[in-house]
Amino acid sequence: MSSQTKEELDAFRAEVAAYLDTAPTDAIREAGRKTTSAFAPFEQGAAWQAILNEKGWAAPDWPEEYGGTGWSAEQRTIFEEEYRKQDLPPLLPNSLKMVGPLLIDLGTEEQKAKYLPRILSGEDYWTQGYSEPNSGSDLASLKCSAVADGDDYIIDGSKIWTTFAHKSNRMFMLVRTSNEGKKQQGITFLLLDRTDFAGMDVRPIKGLDGHAEFCEVFFDNVRVPQSGRVGAENEGWSVAKHLLKHERNGSANSPVLVRYLKRITEAAQDETSPFGGKLSDDPVFQRDLGALHADVTTLAQFERLIMGGHEMINDPALPSIAKTMNSELIQRVSVMMTRVAGLEGLSMQLDALAVGSGVDPMGSELDLISMPFYLNSRATTIYAGTNEVQRDLIARSLQIA
Amino acid sequence: MDFSQTDEQKMLQESVKRLLERSYDFETRQKMLQSGRPWSPEIWEALAEMGILGLPFAEEVGGFGGSMADVVAVAEPFGAHLLIEPYVSSILLAGQCLAQSDSPAAQAQLAKIVTGEQTAAFAHEEGKGTADPALVSLAATEAEDGFTLSGEKRMVLGATQADTLVVSARTRGTAPDADGLSLFMVDPKQQGVSIRSFVTIDGRHAAHITFDGVQIPSDRRVADDAHEVLQTVISRAIVALCAEAVGAMGALLRQTSEYASTRKQFGAPIATFQTISHRLADMKIAYVKARSCLLYTTALMDAGRAGAPDISILKGQIGTLGREIGEAAIQTHGGVGMTDEVSIGHFHKRILTINALFGDSEYHFRAVGKSLATGGA
Ligand SMILES: Cc1cc2nc3c(=O)[nH]c(=O)nc-3n(C[C@H](O)[C@H](O)[C@H](O)COP(=O)(O)OP(=O)(O)OC[C@H]3O[C@@H](n4cnc5c(N)ncnc54)[C@H](O)[C@@H]3O)c2cc1C
Ligand SMILES: Cc1cc2nc3c(=O)[nH]c(=O)nc-3n(C[C@H](O)[C@H](O)[C@H](O)COP(=O)(O)OP(=O)(O)OC[C@H]3O[C@@H](n4cnc5c(N)ncnc54)[C@H](O)[C@@H]3O)c2cc1C
Repeated sequence: MSSQTKEELDAFRAEVAAYLDTAPTDAIREAGRKTTSAFAPFEQGAAWQAILNEKGWAAPDWPEEYGGTGWSAEQRTIFEEEYRKQDLPPLLPNSLKMVGPLLIDLGTEEQKAKYLPRILSGEDYWTQGYSEPNSGSDLASLKCSAVADGDDYIIDGSKIWTTFAHKSNRMFMLVRTSNEGKKQQGITFLLLDRTDFAGMDVRPIKGLDGHAEFCEVFFDNVRVPQSGRVGAENEGWSVAKHLLKHERNGSANSPVLVRYLKRITEAAQDETSPFGGKLSDDPVFQRDLGALHADVTTLAQFERLIMGGHEMINDPALPSIAKTMNSELIQRVSVMMTRVAGLEGLSMQLDALAVGSGVDPMGSELDLISMPFYLNSRATTIYAGTNEVQRDLIARSLQIA
Repeated sequence: MDFSQTDEQKMLQESVKRLLERSYDFETRQKMLQSGRPWSPEIWEALAEMGILGLPFAEEVGGFGGSMADVVAVAEPFGAHLLIEPYVSSILLAGQCLAQSDSPAAQAQLAKIVTGEQTAAFAHEEGKGTADPALVSLAATEAEDGFTLSGEKRMVLGATQADTLVVSARTRGTAPDADGLSLFMVDPKQQGVSIRSFVTIDGRHAAHITFDGVQIPSDRRVADDAHEVLQTVISRAIVALCAEAVGAMGALLRQTSEYASTRKQFGAPIATFQTISHRLADMKIAYVKARSCLLYTTALMDAGRAGAPDISILKGQIGTLGREIGEAAIQTHGGVGMTDEVSIGHFHKRILTINALFGDSEYHFRAVGKSLATGGA
């Protein structure tokens, strides 16, 4: 099953662990402990990526010729596991997991040379401009338009929920270039070199947790070069679908959950049960923790089968099954975290949560992150295709025509 | 038992609704929160004038001798408008503790609370361990002419602005003895009291308070053998908090069904997709269950028949059903539901806060099961 011997894998694990013990700065570790979202605090996330990139480890799953590591599936799993033992911030996904792999497959040589190195180093960050106020689940109905004018496009309309648009210097987006035929047919995929073109206006939107993580972006006669197009005009829908293809290879989401559960378990040892004694000795808590741990373990088992190339990957419903399982489990873990924090989760502590603020939290660090994490996690069943839409896709794989 | 509202209760509820619809819409509330004001003095005054601050107090102390059902009638609209005024903390918790006492100091203080001139806060929670008041451990040691308080209270609603703190403390024994508890009136500016203020996720001002050798004269003891007083006061406050939560749930149900009926995707209102319509149906079922439990328990209380398990059933149900409705409302709103700009998340945060106060649903369900399994109910 494995291309490496056990000894080789053990040595690899030791190498990774030793590196992760020393490479991150204190601010990066603090950002890791204070991560309450799928998206780590932006600045420290970028700084950490730059450090990993020096080592050549920023994008383990990219092809080697473009800066990947050439690791086996086992090695990638080991890397993820060691990574999560440390409360390190997750690397921001848009560039490394979306635009990068897409350009490797479909970009022009010029686009690859221009963008890939700066994606790896973290100098560039790409925001994803797909959703619009009236086009969410029904993405293909999008209206933000791009009209050809000489060598340029003129963009008009708006995008919304664009995560970190206010921190990004580049954007990949879907625009409408034709109203002919089916709605999927007139869409074009564009790369924008900047997020501050004349006529572009980025307005951050505050979320339930009090942080502005996403934005609305307005386009008023914004002129951008046509050289930023990926694929042909009006074929952006299949470009966007190609991007999803990478989800099929699977990813290890369970280690994050394992880590959160470990922090929950540790916190419960310092917490009183409302029935007296320690919360960790409370049989009801133990039973619920056990059930949650069982589900996280099964997610890990599933992910390992997929990453190991099990034939299950041929099931067309697989990405939707993975997304549904993972997102709903994140939410359950977050509920458990608020349960352990109890009353201590009710205070707003945005200052203490800010990396480098030097403000001590009023309770424990778990108390500090529990409520923002819970509130932010409500989004996991909404973004990347709502779970209702995912269930429709799973159901489609079951209908006999 | 009669479960329908009396004409007086209907009028009372209508007048509160009218006041809040006129001057407490969501935008006005958000502006007030952003301005840093702890609450609106105008609304507080209006509630005083309408007799709502005095509602739960006896006529001898300037109140109106209102029933639990009267309080529930006003607390539901409070929840539907996400009130941040200190009704629960000053009137239902601290005020009701003072009302149980015949000490002149307590009576004098109470008079100012009933009129709304001053506010008081109830310093009782000590973290996870105080859902049952017998677990209070803040020490009140007997000293010359009185007591010395040492220890910590957490999550004291309305503490920063309060003119007086009503503090539960232990003069004898150790947790979980029900014996040995007392209530004291403490001036928050007194030496040895330190207050760390913050705002809660549902917009209320609150504080953690440490008492470091705080000297309290004997006449500031409001009650000794206070376990029963504490239980009575807290049970009534729980019913009012649950009424607030039910008010918030009703608002969530209404706003979410409106949104689903107007928001279109794939050329149709999302309410026409069966997953969404069934979720709305589940929200309605949850709301009807929550309100039934609330109204029945309220009637039990007014009939003097609400035992500890009845209160626990209510608190457990409201916490669970409220979470279900809040989470469903956010999911149905999609990205919009994740923003601070619409009221949905704020209602959910109010429900979550109520769930965590005075024992969450996990605690109360287990308390019900424990009392059943050990033959207590
Ligand atoms: C935190 C967060 C980050 C995001 N980041 C980005 C980003 O970086 N870039 C970007 O482009 N987008 C982003 N999004 C947007 C996200 O992709 C959309 O929110 C999502 O596609 C849902 O669209 P909507 O919000 O318009 O909800 P709607 O589509 O209006 O859905 C509302 C509700 O109706 C349900 N529904 C809709 N259609 C159906 C149907 N046919 N059958 C059953 N139920 C249905 C939905 O499941 C949902 O429960 C983000 C969203 C969030 C919350
Ligand atoms: C124990 C028992 C006793 C009964 N007694 C009587 C009796 O005394 N007299 C009598 O006349 N009948 C009786 N019935 C029949 C009963 O009323 C029918 O079984 C019922 O109406 C469902 O019809 P069906 O069995 O044909 O299932 P179907 O209608 O074929 O339904 C199959 C499944 O599809 C679902 N479904 C169907 N339409 C929709 C929709 N639009 N949206 C979502 N889901 C849908 C159903 O909910 C069900 O889960 C009895 C049935 C049982 C099980």
